[in-house]
Amino acid sequence: MLAAALLALAVLLPAARALADDLPSFVHDGQLTLCTNPTLPPMTFVNGSDTNALAGMDIDLARRLAAYWHVALIPQTMDFEGLFPSLSAQRCGMVISGVLRQAGRLRNYDAVAYLDSTVVAVARVGTPKIREMADLSGQTVAVQSGTSYAAQIERENDRLRASGRPPIILQQYPTEDQVVQQVLIGRVHAFISQDVELYYRQKQLGGKVTIILTPDYPDFHQFAVYIRKDSRDSALLQKAIDELSQKGEIAAMAKKWGISGDHQSVFTERNAPSRFDFATFFGALFSTAFLKGAALTLVIALLSHLTAIAISIPMAMKLNGRDSIIRRLLGLYVAVFRGAPTLLQLLFIWNALPQFFPIFREHWFTPFLATWLSLSINESAYQVEINRAALRAVDPGQVLAADALGMTTAQTYRHVIFPQALRIALPPTINEFISLLKTTSLASVISLQELLAVTQIQVARTFQFTEYYAAALVYYLAMVFFFLFLQKRIERRFIWADRNKASADAA
Amino acid sequence: MQLSTSPDPTARISIRGLSKFYKDYLALDRIDLDISKGEKIVVLGPSGSGKSTFIRCLNRIEPHDSGVLMIDGHVIDDRTDLTALRGSVGMVFQNYNLFPHLSVLDNCTLAPRLVRGITKSDAEATARRYLSQVNIAEQAEKFPIQLSGGQQQRVAIARALCMNPEIILFDEPTAALDPESISGIVGIMRDLADQGITTVCVTHEMGFARHIADRIVFMDRGAVLEVTPPEEFFTAPRTERARTFLAQMIRH
Repeated sequence: MLAAALLALAVLLPAARALADDLPSFVHDGQLTLCTNPTLPPMTFVNGSDTNALAGMDIDLARRLAAYWHVALIPQTMDFEGLFPSLSAQRCGMVISGVLRQAGRLRNYDAVAYLDSTVVAVARVGTPKIREMADLSGQTVAVQSGTSYAAQIERENDRLRASGRPPIILQQYPTEDQVVQQVLIGRVHAFISQDVELYYRQKQLGGKVTIILTPDYPDFHQFAVYIRKDSRDSALLQKAIDELSQKGEIAAMAKKWGISGDHQSVFTERNAPSRFDFATFFGALFSTAFLKGAALTLVIALLSHLTAIAISIPMAMKLNGRDSIIRRLLGLYVAVFRGAPTLLQLLFIWNALPQFFPIFREHWFTPFLATWLSLSINESAYQVEINRAALRAVDPGQVLAADALGMTTAQTYRHVIFPQALRIALPPTINEFISLLKTTSLASVISLQELLAVTQIQVARTFQFTEYYAAALVYYLAMVFFFLFLQKRIERRFIWADRNKASADAA
Repeated sequence: MQLSTSPDPTARISIRGLSKFYKDYLALDRIDLDISKGEKIVVLGPSGSGKSTFIRCLNRIEPHDSGVLMIDGHVIDDRTDLTALRGSVGMVFQNYNLFPHLSVLDNCTLAPRLVRGITKSDAEATARRYLSQVNIAEQAEKFPIQLSGGQQQRVAIARALCMNPEIILFDEPTAALDPESISGIVGIMRDLADQGITTVCVTHEMGFARHIADRIVFMDRGAVLEVTPPEEFFTAPRTERARTFLAQMIRH
């Protein structure tokens, strides 16, 4: 019996090992993890109101690669700037997000190209065509931040400056849709992007913009899959892409997403200029995506603030107490977390912490937990000052009286100090909470699908930014007004502090 | 009156060589005193003479550093059950120190319920009884901010009484009050003595001291200089320091 089992094992093991030999090292535990910034249709975007439903050429390719290696695809969405830090932090095995294959990136990462592309400069319709990038001298140009277009324009500017001409003025935006918006609203002269994006945007942009230049940059010809440096992984990925290419599968994907044909003829289709579309606005307002986004915003803000309050009360008591090592450490804590930008803290906890403690790159450490952790710590540094001031404002005679009545320290805090401190702390605390509610929007950089992230993803898909921004505004204002109302209700309970109100209430 | 060197366990409060330091500063200097049951003691002395520190030692709000403090035959030191001690020694403050967020009634019931574990209804019944004794039963549902200073001080006395203390310490109870309110408080304090409650009162109110006290304790620079009946103290003070003090008081 045992011998049979051993024999079976002996037969099975080499097979299993052979399979493992064919797998790149970034594929493990039956999973292929993907980092992508879904704001670049038709490569990677959210097609519909469900923010978890990723679509596009890049997503299809990732799914096909996962199928090729017989594993599940786990996609993670985040801001463009977060893609490469996340790859380095081993949060994902690969980046496919409409990223170009470029020499600069190859120093730190391996890349395998999968699709040809052309860079284009796009301006509002009616803008005359130009012969070279240098013709944009003195003009303002928008690009997505984190992309390599900025570096390319800097090189152009060096040449312009050398020849004594004014440089191109560069503006960078976190999402591609915002880049396009700048041209549509006429703030900038042109934007730089890839032709593939324009194929998809025909419907939204037709009749509004035109291609004014297709500069021939050697570094901007191919989209590539990026992985961490590993020659064996690189070879295995190249092999997979080659096979899919030979079978015509990649060409089929490109065709499916309309990536083909002549980019010069892209904008022949003409659309009437759109006004505020109430159907889109109300559709967004009552969509599950916005509702979920708003709920997430509310839950993360509430949880973070409650945690912050819970940890800041003992901190405030310690800080108000006698000088000690702990008090000095707490003072340092407050200074550091109030001093550092909240965005930096989020990025640090999400991208830098895993490099010190590998446990933070495991799957249980979700963007939600990371946001909860950073916002709790950050908020506690602010809340502790509110608590300190409130506790100090309680007359020391109160403690003396409670003491003289034989109450314990715990009873004194619970029944005498806290109820009085609460009245003083409440208005600034609600103020902090409202501020925190809006600070949660920063968490989109670490891929938390809160309200503003949902909004941006929808805008990227449809370009109806006014409608979606308005829907988001309604949600934020509704939440803020609710908490202001709550504050008024709670303050009514503090009539004991106001002689006139107390007397009016009694009468 | 010469006291023996060891404390008297039959006295309500017996004090021998009580001293207290704030770092190097001698706040109380070897105080000897016996106080018997139902006695009304008034502590007089210039500012900074240690009067308040002295009575705060009696309920160990301020722990003493050396000497012996004995209450009803029990030595009070760092092993004393403070809850029990403060149940039997109540205190009333110059600024009343009522709990502003609680109604008058709740001010009186909070400690009995928390410290003594008395039920709400029992505590309220007791509180209403003492509130009527100090003549403010009708204010029971109000918040302290709605009351005058004199009324607040009566609530503070009722609050102390609700713990059924044998001793009540008064720390300048009339300093923040107008003359009319003072006479009301004086009346209440007289009643307490009739109930057998021992009172120790720090005050600057000379008329008050004269009319209410069984004995005057005169302090200066942390030391007790005289312990005499009020008539004697005000007419024939024994120490030069007391004479100067009285002269200044009368002039003001």
